[in-house]
Amino acid sequence: MRRSSAVILVSASTVTLGAGWLLGSGEAFPRGDAPTVAPTATPGRSADETGSATSDPSEPPGPVVVDGAIVDTKYGTVQVQVVIEADVIVDVVALKLTDSSETSVEVSARAAPILREEILAAQSSVVENVSGATYTSEAYRTSVQAALDAVGFEG
Amino acid sequence: MAVHVFDAMGTTVSIRTVDDSTVPGAGLARTLDEVRACFERLEQACSLYRPDSELSRVARGELSVRDASRVVRDAYAAALDWRTRTMGTFTPHRPDGVVDLSGLVKAEAIAGAGDVLRSAGISSFAVNAGGDVLTSGAPGGGYWTTGISDPADRTRLLAGVRSGPAPGAVATSGSSERGAHIWTAPAPPEGRRPADVVVQATVLADDIVTADVLATAIVAGGRAALDHATDTAPIGVLAVFADGDLAANARLRRRIVR
Repeated sequence: MRRSSAVILVSASTVTLGAGWLLGSGEAFPRGDAPTVAPTATPGRSADETGSATSDPSEPPGPVVVDGAIVDTKYGTVQVQVVIEADVIVDVVALKLTDSSETSVEVSARAAPILREEILAAQSSVVENVSGATYTSEAYRTSVQAALDAVGFEG
Repeated sequence: MAVHVFDAMGTTVSIRTVDDSTVPGAGLARTLDEVRACFERLEQACSLYRPDSELSRVARGELSVRDASRVVRDAYAAALDWRTRTMGTFTPHRPDGVVDLSGLVKAEAIAGAGDVLRSAGISSFAVNAGGDVLTSGAPGGGYWTTGISDPADRTRLLAGVRSGPAPGAVATSGSSERGAHIWTAPAPPEGRRPADVVVQATVLADDIVTADVLATAIVAGGRAALDHATDTAPIGVLAVFADGDLAANARLRRRIVR
């Protein structure tokens, strides 16, 4: 993965853009305590514009992913990740944002869609316990857990 | 591996111990009695299925929570604290105003059972009460594996997750079975899109109370409660939505058995 100083500057700029977007000001360079950064290779691009950017098929290198610096603003800690393809920002991913109560949250902690096929590997023969919605003693008798417990008695 | 099974709180409790050899025979029997007592104590105080429980007397207006025993007051205080931490999604109050602590006391009993087992010198065990699982240590230096039930077919598993050797908890709440203690405080599911309604939530946490309460809150509050829970607590989550879609976060994915 290629990391150049120009790319780092791009990411630093995007941190500020991200911060401005977060504060709801709509300004690329918010006033106040927001950090100031050096001008960059791709000025004037906002987080909104980058989503639809496409890569030039004549450019062979794959995307470069760079994590921006963790920036403390008076509203909380902000960090974004930028994906750069052929010197164009194609995606901006928020890694750390401030929530409505102005505390910093890890965006990556959130649940994202997952396919059944991705997780379905375990069969009941390899588990000791089953976690499910609370069953009654009645329902227990016909549950997988009861079968596992019966095997445990023998073993 | 030994398995001990008994009924408590309207459900069935299974306890697995890896090595009982350090506990003399009478000691093990006494330890299991103490474990049962953890469930019985909380049930006798807080069950709304028992007319003579303290909470049933509170429900009938014969006793105020303030004058109730410490067991009830502590559980009520803990439930109010969780109500704050879940932005009101988890609540100890039924829509009719009755104080209902059933969403909390089973997990507290499981936690108490774990304390009893550790105090007796049993370091590797798993306690499963009605589908909520607390593990400690691990069998054979490996890990405990807990299957997550498929809400569409409870004879099948959606996934298996590992825990151990550090204490770990896996709790699942759902709207399918005995979910009567889940009150949807702020917004009824009818007002939400199926893609935002969670029919089953499994939460991995370091302790069983956190896992159980947040699983309950996520089912009650849907996608918004799911995001709030993962934003504010270090938990792993697998959610099943009403439209059949699944969502999981990185903390849970890392623990999936491949």
